[in-house]
Amino acid sequence: MAGGREVLWTLFRCEIRMLLRDKRTIFIGVILPLFLFPAIILVTRAVEERERVSLESATYYYAVTGTQRDLAGTLVRDALTRRAATADTSQPALHIEESQVAEPDSALRTGGIHLVVEGMAPDEWRTVRDEEERARRERAVTSGRGDDSEAAPAADEADDVEVPVLRLHYRDNSQRSGAAMREVRDALRDLRGEQRERLFRERGFPLDPADVAALEANNLATREEEAGALIGILLAPLIVMMMLTGGSIVAADAIAGEKERGTLETLLTTAARRWEVVWAKQLSVVAVGVVVTLINMLNLLVYVMLGVFELPEDFAVSVTPATLVVLLLLYLPLALLVSSAQLLLSGVSKTYKEYQFNFFPVFLLLLIPAFAAVLPGIELRSAVVLVPVANVAVASREVLTGEFHWLALGAAFFVNVMASAYAARLTVGTLSTERLITAAELDRAELLGGPALFPRRVLTWFGVLWALLLVTSLWFGEHVGIRGQVTFNLGVLFFGGALLMMRRYRLDPRSTLALRAPPAAAWLAVLVGAPSGLVTGVGVARLAQLVFPVPEEVVESFGQYLLPDELPLWQIVFFLCVLPGICEEIAFRGVLLHGLRRRFHPVVLCLVVGAIFGFFHVSLFRLIPTAYVGVLLSAVVVLTGSIFPAMLWHALNNATALVPARLGLWEGEQLPEGVLPLGIAGLAVSFWILWRTRRLYPGLRE
Amino acid sequence: MTGPTISVRALSKSFYDEFRGEVRAVDGIDFACLPGQIFGLLGANGAGKTTTLRMLATILKPTSGEASLLGHDVVADPEAVRRNLGFYSASTALYPRLTARETLEFFARVNRYPGERVTERVDYLVERFGIAEYADARVDKLSSGMKQKVSIARTVAHDPPVLIFDEPTVGLDVLNALEMQDVIRHLRDDGKTILFSTHIMSEAEKLCDHIAIIHRGKILASNTLDGMRRDTGKHYLEDIFVAYVGGRKEIEAAERAALGAQER
Repeated sequence: MAGGREVLWTLFRCEIRMLLRDKRTIFIGVILPLFLFPAIILVTRAVEERERVSLESATYYYAVTGTQRDLAGTLVRDALTRRAATADTSQPALHIEESQVAEPDSALRTGGIHLVVEGMAPDEWRTVRDEEERARRERAVTSGRGDDSEAAPAADEADDVEVPVLRLHYRDNSQRSGAAMREVRDALRDLRGEQRERLFRERGFPLDPADVAALEANNLATREEEAGALIGILLAPLIVMMMLTGGSIVAADAIAGEKERGTLETLLTTAARRWEVVWAKQLSVVAVGVVVTLINMLNLLVYVMLGVFELPEDFAVSVTPATLVVLLLLYLPLALLVSSAQLLLSGVSKTYKEYQFNFFPVFLLLLIPAFAAVLPGIELRSAVVLVPVANVAVASREVLTGEFHWLALGAAFFVNVMASAYAARLTVGTLSTERLITAAELDRAELLGGPALFPRRVLTWFGVLWALLLVTSLWFGEHVGIRGQVTFNLGVLFFGGALLMMRRYRLDPRSTLALRAPPAAAWLAVLVGAPSGLVTGVGVARLAQLVFPVPEEVVESFGQYLLPDELPLWQIVFFLCVLPGICEEIAFRGVLLHGLRRRFHPVVLCLVVGAIFGFFHVSLFRLIPTAYVGVLLSAVVVLTGSIFPAMLWHALNNATALVPARLGLWEGEQLPEGVLPLGIAGLAVSFWILWRTRRLYPGLRE
Repeated sequence: MTGPTISVRALSKSFYDEFRGEVRAVDGIDFACLPGQIFGLLGANGAGKTTTLRMLATILKPTSGEASLLGHDVVADPEAVRRNLGFYSASTALYPRLTARETLEFFARVNRYPGERVTERVDYLVERFGIAEYADARVDKLSSGMKQKVSIARTVAHDPPVLIFDEPTVGLDVLNALEMQDVIRHLRDDGKTILFSTHIMSEAEKLCDHIAIIHRGKILASNTLDGMRRDTGKHYLEDIFVAYVGGRKEIEAAERAALGAQER
């Protein structure tokens, strides 16, 4: 009878054989990148060279205007003459000519000339500057932007200039105009430097460094050590990236592809053990990942030798066999970890397409820690040794610069081996996950559509709503003001989105939104609970501050944004208390909670709905307090089976937070002494009432 | 005579369905399948046939109860169960980029057939199932009839004493379905014990030595066809099935429930 090793070998050989026969994947995944990356670099370099030649060979025109035009014209001409005389072949001076046009500004706009030099008297410049500053402020007020959104126009001297000012007008959307401005600016600066130096000399200021203090920097690092530091930083990201792209050629097909084809069920009915299947697949992912990485490395070397990739000057690498062995020992568990993660991803994905969809987040998750060595001052002998991937990145740098500690290297090795083993164990688990084994079959919910499908789709819908909320608040938030934003978020996104979901999935509004009469005592619980919830929420916010410290200014500016002085009280009550109480409850405690009610245990359900509610407040410092309120509100709906008490609680919560603040009675963040324990007691009483009179939300998971 | 090849006692399987909550797909069933017998599991769509067979093939774990194959418990010793089992269903596909011969060799080896005899076994199967003509062609180049033959051959690649066929004729045309029935009969004649599920009454009537009617996860009757005829006073298996299940409306209701009847 065949032993475990033979089964393992058979499975491995089958994976590799199938991969080698998949010519399209081999071409796209292995062969094409070998030529594509150098081709991109060559093309980019050719385009850059062409641009440079074109910019160098062009003739640039400038016009001189202003009350001090004669002085300005002379200065520019002198500066350009001086620059042409001192330019060398490595950086030749641009060919710039003065142009006599009647309408310089219009010529600059149409591209007839590239630069306008305006000579101004000091007072004149100050007046223009003040006017521009005033106009900028007005624009900022009307657009709702902050004061610091644009830089004030300034000459490169201090405010109190008493010499003529040369303003260079150019158009940054034109490469030539930008190049002309930089050339003239640099020429003028050089000229000014020369004149300044001459004046210093004339007044007897010692300009020879030897007369003041000589300065010399002496680099003690060898060229090899410098190169080691550079490679040490780049090695981990490069290898992780290559392993991920190489390994995914096999990983995607290894489990997700097999599920999709229906071959996984065939394989799982054979006498092969689950771990044998996973090991063989992992082995093939590692093997292909390593081979593709080696091919890419060799490819890189060949292109370096051919001069396609240029290395820094004086670049010298010296890697001893001992260093190489240490690096290999470090990267072996990393290769295992990367392949385990890919195989796990393949295991949890139902189809090839789903694997590809999920690949990018995993790619980032593994690649970002690989850049850990870039962080200044980070050492392996710190908590970073416990972070898989990041520890190898930092260890590589230390090994290549010759400053490492064996114990820390051993710990990094161990951590990655353990992480890899854990991921492999989870992958074995996915092969026993019954829903995933049978996922390729026709999905009943897909077939039925409507309410049966909604629980599967609800999180995707809220993901899209969240993305829309984020985009609109970032792009338009400042322009439309708080009223516009609240109306859009609550009216269009939350209310409209909820209606759309109910229509799309044929959901019954009454049961979906829990439009049922609550127990009478629930109202009393709400009256006690809402202010208590707010008070305890402030306590939670304080605790959250310990984890995510938020600068005072951020909180203040947010308060200012939420409660602008011009917003009358009734609008605060309507837009920030009543509307959220209705629309947010319909979206979160209505549609979302309904969609998730069977997926999670009721306690987890409240936590999940609350967390999602928190994420919708698109701010790190509000996340935890709003999520906390979201959890309370979800619990109210679960215990009363009705959305109405939660609506009142929500409106009261916001009113208690905002109205006294608007009236200047309470600052919101500072609680009077003794109020917090009172809040905790009030919340306990409220939930005791809700529990005693509970009328549970129907259809919850048991 | 030895004991049953397959023995199932109080076997249950519950799933958690996001929409319908807990669903008992198989609800405490008992049956025994004797050596050299074709045992038919007859039921409508969603009756629990596939779930039962998947538990016997160790793909799914029972929620409660016991099942064993040649004395090997499906939970305690799944590898031994699978070593003695060939599992075929419409959803058990083949690797498209392997040739027919490589497929048979692969399944013989992963099912731990003695390594030195694999080539000989593969040659025999190629001959036995008439696939010599395309034995070295890749599976993705084969017609569905050819794939079906290769698929059956891979099911018996390791010469297992027990075979499970889960709705093997679903999606096949008449000729291929008839050929499949012939193959199953011949395998029984070769001494294999066969557990066979279907919702096609004529198939069960022609092939099965013993029939169990499964409905809503429970076995309502388990007998030979003649025994069932005696018990119900009906001749045709369709009528016998309807009589046991409790009418056509009940069959329709059960199929709807299995599809996940909506609850508001």
